[in-house]
Amino acid sequence: MEHPDRPALSIDDLTVAYQEKPAIWDIDLDVPEGVLMAIVGPNGAGKSTLIKAALNLIPRAAGSVSFSGLPYERARSLVAYVPQRGSVDWDFPTSVLDVVTMGLYGKLGWFRRPGPSERELALGALEQVGLADFAERQISQLSGGQQQRTFLARALVQDAQIYFMDEPFAAVDAVTENAIVNILRQLNQRGKTVLVVHHDLQTVAEYFDWVTLLNVEVIAAGPTSEVFTLENLQKTYGGRVSYLHGGQLMTASAP
Amino acid sequence: MMPLERFLIEFLLNFLTRGELNALLRSPQNTATLIGCLIAISGALLGVFLLLRGMSLTSDAISHTVLLGIVVAFLLMTKVFGVAGDTSSPWLILGASLAGVGTVLLTEMLYRSGLVRQDAALGLAFPLLFAIAVILVSRFVDDVHLDEDAVLVGEIGLAWANSNSHCFEHCETVTVTEDHPAAKMTRQCLNCRALGISPRDRRAEFIEVCGNCGDYSPARAWSAGLLEREPALVFFPKSIAVTSIMTLLTLAFVLVFYKELKLSTFDPALAMALGFRPGLMHYALMILVSLVAVGAFDAVGSILVIAFFIIPPAAAYLLTDRLALMLLLSPLIGAAGAYFGYDLARGQLFGFIPIAEGIAAVNRLFGLALIEAWDSSISASMVLMIFILFTLAWVLSPRYGLISTLIRRAIRRRLFEDQVVLAHIHNHQHTAQAATELRVATLHAHFRWTPRKMGRVLARLRALGFISIVAGGALLTERGDGHVHRFRKTMLEAHNMPGVD
Repeated sequence: MEHPDRPALSIDDLTVAYQEKPAIWDIDLDVPEGVLMAIVGPNGAGKSTLIKAALNLIPRAAGSVSFSGLPYERARSLVAYVPQRGSVDWDFPTSVLDVVTMGLYGKLGWFRRPGPSERELALGALEQVGLADFAERQISQLSGGQQQRTFLARALVQDAQIYFMDEPFAAVDAVTENAIVNILRQLNQRGKTVLVVHHDLQTVAEYFDWVTLLNVEVIAAGPTSEVFTLENLQKTYGGRVSYLHGGQLMTASAP
Repeated sequence: MMPLERFLIEFLLNFLTRGELNALLRSPQNTATLIGCLIAISGALLGVFLLLRGMSLTSDAISHTVLLGIVVAFLLMTKVFGVAGDTSSPWLILGASLAGVGTVLLTEMLYRSGLVRQDAALGLAFPLLFAIAVILVSRFVDDVHLDEDAVLVGEIGLAWANSNSHCFEHCETVTVTEDHPAAKMTRQCLNCRALGISPRDRRAEFIEVCGNCGDYSPARAWSAGLLEREPALVFFPKSIAVTSIMTLLTLAFVLVFYKELKLSTFDPALAMALGFRPGLMHYALMILVSLVAVGAFDAVGSILVIAFFIIPPAAAYLLTDRLALMLLLSPLIGAAGAYFGYDLARGQLFGFIPIAEGIAAVNRLFGLALIEAWDSSISASMVLMIFILFTLAWVLSPRYGLISTLIRRAIRRRLFEDQVVLAHIHNHQHTAQAATELRVATLHAHFRWTPRKMGRVLARLRALGFISIVAGGALLTERGDGHVHRFRKTMLEAHNMPGVD
């Protein structure tokens, strides 16, 4: 808020390669503060890679990333990350509350253990995602949607400025999708910046006010109303794209 | 190690006389049980994290490749620096832990090349390092007890004999020189071998050599009969100090880094994003696994080490779904296995069932002539006992055990059968088809069930007061009606979680 001119996330010339094959190529992207942004693109477009590289989780071949002008090492407390649900072992011997509390480990730092105040915060986040009754459950007893909401609660307790979410809507039921959208909107209303890897073209215009179309390179980025066009989608997906927009079937074909 | 041992002994002497302490320490049973328990505790603690990280087999690989570290450090010490090598020397332990980390590094390097799978990378790395170790042993090391037996099953039963002596009273050291009355002088032919002649040959030249000259510690001096007064000695098995330190280190590591270990095991990506160093935790864990593997290598050989790391946590995993409790149960199971394992090797199952009598009974019953005496490998018996405890957990665990799973399934099946019939009655009673759909005599046909099964379910439902039979047709009672609605409601709740506003 102090620097309205400074983007919440600024990516410059970012390239990541797996085995010499570029996964994302020369990405330049500025995300203004307070937007709810979808990252959209075909499979293998490098959407998850973009998030992971921004958070220093995988090595970059080139480029730099800053959060409100700060490098990641100094901006950790500003950033929260919701990984893909399948990235962890849900048979791990722990409770829902414990997983949510893990979001506070960063603030606790090394050696300090979570106490009653951390418990309160975690319970509050579970309340927000509608899982308060599940706090003491073993995590393997959760449905897919509940797992996703547990991860969301874990990000909420971090009380960050910018949220990265890797496919939070993947294989969840309608109830969970609604719950997640509501949370995203709440975050947005509180001035947070939210980046979501998203697959469902149908809902992009409804859920998000900002969009980045990605296919290894950034095809287009900006307000959804300007950028989320059939022409851009066709460039992103390369072939035939069709989706419903305002109850109308939109189709674009490669020339 | 010596000052630490001395400190421990002095502490223990507050409670025991020297004679009692020696009797305690020089009993093979006490030493073997204690060392077995310590290894089991440290292995089982680390094993919890190995198991949860899907790295069970890494402990097996490391327990083999520590041999390379031991051998290389031993060769460096004896051949390069000219100091005496000892398998409990800190340098050997350092070498072993480096080899352990090297194994992990090599495995990860092979895997990251993208050309081999992870399990194959492990299968490539550790036989290579182990093979190099075996070649080095057979080529350069011939005067140490790094033999096949030790590598196979260890020598926990002999651990008591490999001890340091500590002297507390009348501590005289003796130096025997050539003019000492006890010196044993022998004549040695100087040039017999060179000339190929017998010592009787006239050309043979001789020198006098002292056979027993040198410095004698109080313990050696006393046993060589050089002292008049018996020194007050305590013999402390070397392995106890080494394994105690490893257990304490492991315990401290897990207690201090509990939160960090949990996070980096469950979600390494989050650990990294939050600024904890999951890579660092990973290698710290591997170093500790290597350290414990060295201690265990001496005691139980390299092949059985994995059992001490993996079986106790696997059992604990079946008994609880909280990490903290798992970390408590796992070492308890391991220690109990080591303790009762010694008894098992000596022919006592759980300390009170004599195996020999069991075999004798079998012999009497079937007229066989099996050998009744039972005396077997201690390390293998410990592993067997840990596995027996695992089997008990596997069968009897209240939540995840075989029996409770079977019971739960049977209950659920019965509940389901009841609900299917109740729902059918609920849907058809008071409708036009009620007479055909709910006729008890033909009800089984609608479900493709046998008449017997339907009879059983209906009898149960009547006994529970859920249905009544009126004029040959089934009807829900008020109670049965409530039961159907309750079931539908809970089923709906199970699928639809409370919404968010």
